[in-house]
Amino acid sequence: MIVRAAAKFQADFFIRKDEFEINGKSIIGVMTLAAEQGACLTLVFKGEDENEAAGAIARLFESGFGEEL
Amino acid sequence: MNLVDTTTEHVVEGIGVAPGIAIGPAYLYARAAFEIEDRRIASENLEGELVRFEQAVSRSERDLRKIAAVAREKLGESSADIFVAQALMLRDAAFYEAVVEHIRSDRMSADYAAHVVMSHHRQLLEAGESEYLRERANDMLDLQDRVVRHLRRGKILSTIDAESIVVAESLTAADIVLFSQRAILGTALDYGGATSHVSLMARALGLPAIVGMHGVTEQVASGDMLVLDGLTGRVVINPTEDTLAFYRDRQKRYRQLQKEQKKIVSLPAQTFDGHNVRLMANLEFMEELELVEEYGAEGVGLFRTEVLFLMRKRVSLSEEEQFKAYRRIVESVAPHPTTFRMLDFGGDKMLPLGHREHNPFLGWRGVRVLLDKPEMLHPQLRAIVRASHFGPLRILLPMVTELNEVYAFKERLGTVYEEFAREGLEYDPDIPVGIMVEVPSVAIKATRFAREVDFFSIGTNDLTQYTLAVDRGNDLVADKYQELDPAILQLIRQTVEAAHACGIGVSVCGELAARAVATPILLGLGIDELSASPIYLPEVKRVLRSIRMEEARALADQALQARDAHEVTSLLEVWLREHDCDVASMLEA
Repeated sequence: MIVRAAAKFQADFFIRKDEFEINGKSIIGVMTLAAEQGACLTLVFKGEDENEAAGAIARLFESGFGEEL
Repeated sequence: MNLVDTTTEHVVEGIGVAPGIAIGPAYLYARAAFEIEDRRIASENLEGELVRFEQAVSRSERDLRKIAAVAREKLGESSADIFVAQALMLRDAAFYEAVVEHIRSDRMSADYAAHVVMSHHRQLLEAGESEYLRERANDMLDLQDRVVRHLRRGKILSTIDAESIVVAESLTAADIVLFSQRAILGTALDYGGATSHVSLMARALGLPAIVGMHGVTEQVASGDMLVLDGLTGRVVINPTEDTLAFYRDRQKRYRQLQKEQKKIVSLPAQTFDGHNVRLMANLEFMEELELVEEYGAEGVGLFRTEVLFLMRKRVSLSEEEQFKAYRRIVESVAPHPTTFRMLDFGGDKMLPLGHREHNPFLGWRGVRVLLDKPEMLHPQLRAIVRASHFGPLRILLPMVTELNEVYAFKERLGTVYEEFAREGLEYDPDIPVGIMVEVPSVAIKATRFAREVDFFSIGTNDLTQYTLAVDRGNDLVADKYQELDPAILQLIRQTVEAAHACGIGVSVCGELAARAVATPILLGLGIDELSASPIYLPEVKRVLRSIRMEEARALADQALQARDAHEVTSLLEVWLREHDCDVASMLEA
């Protein structure tokens, strides 16, 4: 879901957890980050539309990804 | 190795998991193990190898899009997601570019490079705590298999004969979806259970299927003529002309019946003389949710919550994990109610606690475990109470034998209500609480229990086993397992009378509810609700709609006086024939 949202923007998008950093536009990257609920993540956006991209991803987090089991 | 003479007719039995009758040639499908070798390529073959890889990826992409489309159409969006995600992974830089890089700089063959890259990602996922992610590691393995197969011998599908019955050791759900496009007639597998994903998928696709046939792959050769009867779980290999004629006739009648059933789904569940009976669904998997509406069920009469746990092979799921699942079910089934049966570990459902008993059916199971293990009960109760805000639901307690268990449970539920009130959370403060009537003592003491609970649900499988002292898994006595024994019927009658005197309803959720042949008796005994696997509901409804309550009551009275289950069955058969419902008895076979 993150990957699909991020793909709509130009800006590069990275997610950091502990010492790892992965490409937020890569589904395999996001999966292998193995972020469980409650994990502390740092999101980095770089590029022309970085603000819009950051806003869209933040909304996704706030909505709890509309997640289902 | 053929130990059996394969030129003459013989029968192999398994578990029929998707109904229907298939007649056609066998196709023996070997899910070849693809041994991956560390193979390097010469530099002049470099470009060729990259092209080969690109072709395999684009073919895999096409496969997956096709599978996703079929899954979406037949099973809904959520089932298709898994394949869409796999397709995305193919073009993901972390896979595609990484493989290309290994081919270019390390001169790895495409197969080996794909293996190396995927293994790396899989290890990361498998190292994690999350079961969800470990399942995704399996998806990656599927994906790797798929790409490697395309690399090695092109299209997987071209190997399958259309219009054949696929015989295999085991298949994945994805295999079944893909094969159904080749118009295969059905499938017979060595392994698998009624609740495995492949069984579920076969049912959803309407493909006759039998699993648990232990060794059928050793008795069948490609091209052998087969009859596959998904209703009885029987495969006839090299049938004689007489057998073929019998099954062709049965197939014709079954198709006729199916047509009638389709019409019946939208009709009300009402007897001929206007008495309403609620037909509900028994569910185990989230993926089955769509069947509730498809087969015209008015709610879920039994959701076996332990299956969520067993599928993740874990003793505990967090409140949050459970809540999400329960909420989704409740919202999907609303405005009809969903009945959540509290965790029922023990008996034949192995408690994943590393705990062994000599006699598990008489041991620590159901509510006995729940009350002893607050760390299991409390999160489940909180998850259910949270879900109650999103649609109507009921709670069902398994394996109750004493009133004290009901009191203790209600106390725990009361505590959770208090927590919610304190935390300012929204919930339904009057969730109906019912008990399973599956132990004879509860049926005998039904009057006392009826004053304490909001409904009864009769589990005929265990009630039969406990009343007749028969383990139906034991071949030596399995023929004595008779759900229609007059003793069982007597216990049902007692339970209904006690319930109705206190103004509460009674449902039957055991296999007896799925047997249309038994519907007249259950109605005659006063049952208010029947809950069964959705696919059986149209047939139950068809019989139900021909019943007049007065006659059903008379039939039940007669059955209670019968000598044994065989006499009850004969009574029913006569009755069904007189009421022009005899096709139903055909399904019993």
